[in-house]
Amino acid sequence: MGEQQAAIVERRPPIQRIGKALMLMLIFIWCLFPFFWLISTSLKLGNEALNSPDLFHGPFGLQNYKSVIEQDFGFNLRNSAIIAGTTTVFCIAIGALAAYALARLPIKRKILVLAGVLAVSLFPPVALVPPMYEVWRTLGLLNTYPGLYIPYTAFTLPLTIFILSTFFASIPKDLEEAARIDGATAFQAFWKVILPLAAPGVFAAAIITFVAAWNEFLLASTFAPRDKAVQTVTVAIAAFTGSVQFERPIGTITAACVIVTIPMIILTLIFQRRIVAGLTTGGVKG
Amino acid sequence: MASEAARAPRVEGRRSLSNAALAKLFLTPSVAWMALVALFPVLYAFVLSLYLYQGRLSEGFGGLENYTEAITDDRFWSAVIATLVFTVTSVAAEFMIGLGFALIMRQAFRGRGVTRAAILVPWVIPTVISAQMWFFMFNVTPGFWNDVLGIGDFNWLGQPNWAMFAIVFTDVWKTAPFVALLLLAGLQTIPEDIYESARVDGATAWQRFWNLTLPLLRPAILVALLFRTVDALRVFDLPQVMTQGAFGTETLSMLVQRFVVQTPNPGTGAAFSTLTFILVLGVGVIFVRFLGREFVESTAGG
Repeated sequence: MGEQQAAIVERRPPIQRIGKALMLMLIFIWCLFPFFWLISTSLKLGNEALNSPDLFHGPFGLQNYKSVIEQDFGFNLRNSAIIAGTTTVFCIAIGALAAYALARLPIKRKILVLAGVLAVSLFPPVALVPPMYEVWRTLGLLNTYPGLYIPYTAFTLPLTIFILSTFFASIPKDLEEAARIDGATAFQAFWKVILPLAAPGVFAAAIITFVAAWNEFLLASTFAPRDKAVQTVTVAIAAFTGSVQFERPIGTITAACVIVTIPMIILTLIFQRRIVAGLTTGGVKG
Repeated sequence: MASEAARAPRVEGRRSLSNAALAKLFLTPSVAWMALVALFPVLYAFVLSLYLYQGRLSEGFGGLENYTEAITDDRFWSAVIATLVFTVTSVAAEFMIGLGFALIMRQAFRGRGVTRAAILVPWVIPTVISAQMWFFMFNVTPGFWNDVLGIGDFNWLGQPNWAMFAIVFTDVWKTAPFVALLLLAGLQTIPEDIYESARVDGATAWQRFWNLTLPLLRPAILVALLFRTVDALRVFDLPQVMTQGAFGTETLSMLVQRFVVQTPNPGTGAAFSTLTFILVLGVGVIFVRFLGREFVESTAGG
């Protein structure tokens, strides 16, 4: 296990190469196999096929997808897109400013600010549930979009700030200083020099923020549990549950899961490099 | 905001002053937002927890009565135990499998890019979806795992311990690849020539792993463990969807949420949430202290 790349430069016997390929395959199967099961199940029709463990037990068809759409799943997709999109815009807009300040500007008691941001990223969102439920009830924010994107923004900001400040810090200072010598203000240097150069980083942070907000379940199921006009995708998918555990409509649920999953997987594959860079430089969970 | 700085860009004293002012200006929206939405509710929860309620109606100040009620409640302790069992087992398994994956990926040249893309797939999937997916795979009907393993109608989700096992397994499936990604990034910062000289000195593969890789990977390992541990302590989605907290799988987050939604009692709910907050943040602080000041500074790239 503790082998390393240098060893590969030497010629290795084919058995070892095949062994490595097999181990990579293992990771591949680990990550992707459940989706194969998911897609196959979502295409099955009728109780007999759906209750069979055999992946290839037909008949197959698109009936489950039709019934998902008939249950107004489109509303849920729209709600999630609006809430996650708004969260992303807020996070990037105000997070980029804070990240730039942390990476480049003189801050008194910087360690305190950093510790505070870190503390929020370690924060258990459930601690918010009882007090915020009371406040939201008073303000009439239960079952509204702001009722969700306001807390989402607060919880995703630390991640955005970590990722962006790492990217800002990696941009050579000379460029900025050259701009300042040419008479640009700190704000102009940020806006005209740093921000365009950090665009890939901003993009990575935006995707990761969007995914975090899109996947949230605890607050969404507490603050907007049933109202179709606000209910998010995750809440809808969890709510397909029947009254008795094993009565969950497996066909509908798996079809809904596929509808949500496919675009996200495509997004991930397209922006793979940027996401990996964002996740690892930020060093923080998304 | 920019104009003030624009007027005196070259006067050194004023420039640094206006830079400091700009820094404050840039930080204010983020800090205010987080303080208002994260910090204020926690303080408010503490205040709420000191008052007694009958349903939603306040019955006046009760001091620490809600807390004595909370910590003498068996349900609270079983939630603490469920949360800790979940955290310890899932983080341990994720770390070992993630490290294995990272070492495999580090060695491979061909196919590494594709594998790294595949590794992001479980990460991007909403936890609720992985919960539903694995619920059905573990469930008696259609009984996918039972069929694969050839063990008849074993009821994974319908009995104590095995229900927790299924939940931990699902979390490990989803998160071990993510841990691998973090550790792989750490592995790639270790220079090759260190291994070369160790090899020349006759160190075995195991010795190189134990004496070089692990110590050099320590910072990446600690960061991964910190975020995984804190995240696991907050677990809600998986048990909520897979078992609804039955068979000893009700976690602290579920308990608090239920006191708000199902048993509306803001006082007791707030006491539970304050205790959860102290536990989770406490563990986080211990980790960060362990990681040291450089960690806090390096997280923000400063």
